Amino acid sequence: MNKVSNIVRPFARPLVLVGGVLLIVAALLPWATFVLNEGPYPDKATLQFFDAPFAVTGFRFHLLLLGLLVLIASFAPVPSRARVLRALGWGGLLVSVISGLFITIEGGGLGAITAADGATAFGALVGLVGGAAVILGAIALGVEPPAHWTLKLPTAAAYAVLVVVFVLVLLGVSLVLTAGGQGGAANPYAGPLFLAFLGFAAGAMAALSATGAIRFVSELSEKHRIFSVVVLLLCALLLPFTDAGSEYWMTVAANIGIYAATAIGLNIVVGLAGLLDLGYVAFMGIGALVAANFSGAAAAAFGVHLPFPVAAVIAAVVAGIFGAIVGSPTLRVRGDYLAIVTLAFGEIFTRSAQNNIGGLTNGANAIPGIPALSLFGADFNKSFTLGSIKLPAGVLYYVLIVLLVALVMTVFANLKFSRIGRAWIAIREDEDAARAMGIRTGQAKILAFLVGAMLAGLAGAVFAHKNGTVSYESFKFLESVTLLAAVILGGMGSIPGAVLGASLLFVLPEKLREFSEYRLLIFGLALVLIMRFRPQGLVPDRHRRAELADEDVGGAPVDEVHEVPGAVKEAKA
Amino acid sequence: MSILLQQLANGVVQGGLIALIALGYTMVYGIIQLINFAHGEIFMVGAYGSLATYTWLLPQGIKDSWVLSLPLMLLGGVVVAVVIALIMERFAYRPLRNAPRLAPLITALGISVALQEAVRTFYPDATSALRFPRVFAEGNLALGPISVPWSGVLIIVVSIVLSVLLQVYINRSRMGRAMRATAQDPDTAKLMGVNPDRVIVLTFVLGAALAGVAGLLYGSYITNVNIDMGFQTGIFAFTAAVLGGVGSIRGAVIGAFIIGLVKTIGGQYMPGGTQYDYVWIFVVLILVLVFRPQGLFGEPERVRA
Amino acid sequence: MSPLLEVRNLSVAYGAIEAVRDISFTVEAGQIVSLIGSNGAGKTTTLRTISGLLRPASGEILLEGEPIHAQPAHAILGAGVAHSPEGRRLFPRMTVEENLQLGAYVRKDDGVEKDMQRVYDLFPVLGERRHNKAGLFSGGEQQMLAMGRAMMSKPRLLMLDEPSMGLSPIMTQLIFDTIKELKEQGTTILLVEQNALAALALSDQAYVIDLGRTTLQGPGHELLADQRVRDAYLGES
Repeated sequence: MNKVSNIVRPFARPLVLVGGVLLIVAALLPWATFVLNEGPYPDKATLQFFDAPFAVTGFRFHLLLLGLLVLIASFAPVPSRARVLRALGWGGLLVSVISGLFITIEGGGLGAITAADGATAFGALVGLVGGAAVILGAIALGVEPPAHWTLKLPTAAAYAVLVVVFVLVLLGVSLVLTAGGQGGAANPYAGPLFLAFLGFAAGAMAALSATGAIRFVSELSEKHRIFSVVVLLLCALLLPFTDAGSEYWMTVAANIGIYAATAIGLNIVVGLAGLLDLGYVAFMGIGALVAANFSGAAAAAFGVHLPFPVAAVIAAVVAGIFGAIVGSPTLRVRGDYLAIVTLAFGEIFTRSAQNNIGGLTNGANAIPGIPALSLFGADFNKSFTLGSIKLPAGVLYYVLIVLLVALVMTVFANLKFSRIGRAWIAIREDEDAARAMGIRTGQAKILAFLVGAMLAGLAGAVFAHKNGTVSYESFKFLESVTLLAAVILGGMGSIPGAVLGASLLFVLPEKLREFSEYRLLIFGLALVLIMRFRPQGLVPDRHRRAELADEDVGGAPVDEVHEVPGAVKEAKA
Repeated sequence: MSILLQQLANGVVQGGLIALIALGYTMVYGIIQLINFAHGEIFMVGAYGSLATYTWLLPQGIKDSWVLSLPLMLLGGVVVAVVIALIMERFAYRPLRNAPRLAPLITALGISVALQEAVRTFYPDATSALRFPRVFAEGNLALGPISVPWSGVLIIVVSIVLSVLLQVYINRSRMGRAMRATAQDPDTAKLMGVNPDRVIVLTFVLGAALAGVAGLLYGSYITNVNIDMGFQTGIFAFTAAVLGGVGSIRGAVIGAFIIGLVKTIGGQYMPGGTQYDYVWIFVVLILVLVFRPQGLFGEPERVRA
Repeated sequence: MSPLLEVRNLSVAYGAIEAVRDISFTVEAGQIVSLIGSNGAGKTTTLRTISGLLRPASGEILLEGEPIHAQPAHAILGAGVAHSPEGRRLFPRMTVEENLQLGAYVRKDDGVEKDMQRVYDLFPVLGERRHNKAGLFSGGEQQMLAMGRAMMSKPRLLMLDEPSMGLSPIMTQLIFDTIKELKEQGTTILLVEQNALAALALSDQAYVIDLGRTTLQGPGHELLADQRVRDAYLGES
C-alpha cells in the first residue's frame, strides 16, 4: 500500500478529481441491459437500474451525490480533507460493487453490465474505477486524523443545532428503514438496493465523522444531556409520521426496539462490567414466560390475568432473581470460565423450557394466544387515530417500546456514571486492583447480572404481548450470540452503539430475505471480521476506545510480544 | 443391576469420544489460554470430511471392505479437520494474539457459527441428519449382561491409545518440551529459541487431528451425523477439560470418562430421564468451576512473574 | 571489525511511556560489559529489546554489524544471543534436565550431553538433583540453573539480568565468580546489575543508566573510582 501511494503521490489530486467525475458519469450511465434470464425486470427495479441517462434515482442518485461531494471536498476548505475524500470514495466503491455484483449475478450474468443491444450498460464498472481512484488518491494525499472542533456555542444556538441534527437523524432513520422497500418474495431487489444504500450511508457518515462534525455534535449533546434526551425521544415518537409510518415498518421498528433494549441491558454486563454472558437471552425468555403465564392465555399455568404493568414488574423481578443466581458463581469464577458458566445456565434454561418444566412453558407447543395489550381502552394491535391523523396498527407498541428503550437507556447512563458504574469499570479493567482499592467486587458483579437480567426480563414481558406467542425457540444460544454481536458491533459500553448494532442485526435479515439461507454464515464471519478489524465497534465508547484499539496511542507496534500489559506494570514498578 | 452395568459401559464409550475432543480444548487452552469454542465444529467438520471421502472418493470395491475404507476415511476426516483448524488459527486467532481476551473468544463463537452454517449450506443435504456408514465390524461385544457395539469398543481402545501416545509425545519429545515451555512461560520459551507460532500451529494440528479421528468414530458408532453434533459434544468435551483441569492431558481424559458416565447414569436414574442428561453435565460443570476452579488435576492459579 | 553488539540511539516505549531514551553502547567480543543504574532506569527493558521480546521505537541493534532489532526473539537466540531474564524465569514444572534441554533447544549438534555435564560440573548441586522439578529449588540454585540454561545454547553473547537479586552474600559471590570464569572461557557477557560494586569490579566496560538515558560510561575500575558513581550507587555520601 505504501509503495503504491508513493507512486501515486504526484498525481493524487488529479486522481481524486478524475475519480469524482467518474462517479458522476457512472451515475448517469445505464447499469444493466434489459436482457434477463426470465424476461425483463419488474417495474420497481427498472426505476433504479435502467433509467435512460439523466433520469437519476435510487442508488444512482446516491452515487451522483457522492461524486459531487468529492469534487466539492477537493476544492472547498474542508477539515481533514483526505480522510473525508477517502470515506466518500469508499461509499462510491461500495455502492458500485454491491449493485454491480447484484446485476452481474442475479441480472443474467456478465452480459448485463457490458454493452448489449446497443445500450452501454457499464455504469457499475465506471463507478468501481471512480471509487477506487478517489480512495487511492486520498490515501496518497496522506490521511490525517479526524478533525476536532473547538467551537463554543451559546446555549440557544446549541439547542437549535441539536434539534436540527436530531430531526435529520429521524429522517435518516426513516430513510434507512424504508430504503429498498419491504423485503420478501414480492420485492426481490429490496436486499441489494438496501445494501447499496447502506454503502452510501456508511461512506457519507464516515466523511461527516472525518470532518469532526459528528464528534462535535456528540460532545454538544453530552453537554446538554437532558435536552438531547428529550428531543431524541420526541423525534423517536415522531417516526410514525414519516414515510416509515406503515404497519409493517412500525412492527419492524418495535422488534428492533425490543432487541435494542435487551442489548443495552447486556451492555451493562458485558460492556461496563466486562463479564461475558453467553446465556443472556434466557433472562428475556424468563421474563416473557412470566408475562405469558400471567396474561390469561389459555395455555398459561396460572389462571389469573394480571394487568400488564404488574406482570411486567413480576417478570423483571423473577428474571432479576435468576440473574443473581447465575451471577453468583462470579464470586469464584472468572473470565472465560464465567462465560462458559453463563452458557451452561442458558442451555439449562432452553432444555428445561423445551421439556415444559413444572408445566410453566408448555414445551414445544409454546404458549400461544397471549392477548394484545390495551391501555385506557386503546387496543395496541388496532390502528389508532390521533386527532385527524389515522396511525397504522402497531404504533402503540412502537410508542411503548420507544419508552422502554428510553427507560433502559436512562438506567444505563445513570449507572455508568454512578459509583457502582465506576466500580464495574474498575473491575473490567483490573479485578485485583479493584478489590485492592476496596471495591466489593463480588457484590458489584452480581448486581451487574441482576440489573442486566431485570432489563431483559422487562423486554421479555413486552415481547410476549407484542408477539402473542412465547416459545423456548426464541431464546436459544444463537439469540444470545446475536445480542452479543449487536453489542460488539455497535461498540461495547456505548448506548448508541448497542442501538445501532441491534438495528443492523435485526434490520438486515428483514431486508435481505433472499439471502436468508446465508444469514448465519455471514453473521459468523462478520463476528470474526469485526474482532479482527474493528474490535472497538462502529460507535466506540470514548472511555473504552483506548484499550481496544491502538489508533490513538503513539509508539511502536509491539507485535508478537506476548505480555505488553505485564511489561507496562513492570515499567511502572 | 444389568441396566446399571450397561449404562456404565455406554458411559465409557461416550467418555472415550469426549476425551478425544477434550484433548484439543485442553492443549490449546494450555498454550494460548483460549477457549477454542470452535473446536467442537472441527470435530463435526472431521465427521463430514470422512463421510465425503466415503461418498465421493472411495470406489465401491473399497467401500465394501471396512478394513480398507476405515483408514482412508480416517485420513480424509483428519485432513479436512486439520486444514480447517490451520486456516482458523492463521487468519482468525493469530492476528488477535495480543488483543484483549474477549476478542478471540468472540471470534471463536463466530467461527463456530460460520462453520456450522457453511456445512449446512454447502454440504449436499446437510440440512438434516445424514446416514454414516458403519465402517467397522457389525454386531456387539457381549460381556455377561452388557453388550457394546464393536464400534464402541473401537472408540474406547482408540481414545485410550491416542491419549497415552499424546502424553508420551508431550513429555518426551523436543517439540513436546517446547509446548510445555510455551504453556508455562511463553516469553521465556521464546528466549530459549522456541518459535511460538510453530508451537501454536502444532497444538492446533494435534487437537484437530484427534477431533477428526473422533468425528469418524462418532459417525461409525451412531451411524448418522448432523451439523449440531459439534456444538453439543464440544460443550461436553469442554466441560471434561475443565473438570480435569484445563491444560492437563490426563485430567481431560479422566474428566471425559466422568462426563460420559454422568450423562448416561444421569439420563437413566435422575428425574427427567434422558431429556435432562444435558442438564446434569452442566450442573457438574458449574459445581466444579465454583468449588474447584483448577479442576481435578489442574495446578492452582498460575503465578506469572 | 564491528563490535559483537552495538546498540545505537535505542528508544523503547510502552504506549506513551518512554522507558528507554536514546541509549547507545557497544560490547566488544570477550568483554564483560555492565549496565548499572537504579530501579526503573530502563536496564531490563534494554535487555528485553535486544533479545527481541520488545520492539524499539527507534534506534538500531547490531550484532556484528547486522541489524537484529526487527527479528523475532527465537531468531535472535539462534543468532547467538542468550538472555537469562530478570527473576530467572525457570520452567517451574519441569526438571533441571528439561530446563537445560530447553536451553539447548535450537542446537542440532551432538555436544548437548557434554555441555550439560559441563553445567553439572560447574554447579554440582544441579547434577545431584537433575530429575527434580525446578520450581522446588532455592533462589541461589534457581539462579545457577538459569545461568546454566542460558549457557546451554553456546551463546556468543550472554545477557544476565540481575543474577544476584535476592541472593545471600555467599551465593552472590559464587555467581560472580562463575561470571568471571565464563569470561575466561571466552564468553562475552552483558550484565545488568543493581549490585554496582560487584558488577563494576569485574567489568571491562560499564554504562550508568538513569531514567532511560546513559549518563556515564567508562571502564569498570574508572567508574568505580568516580565520585558521582560512588555517591549515587555505592551507598556513600
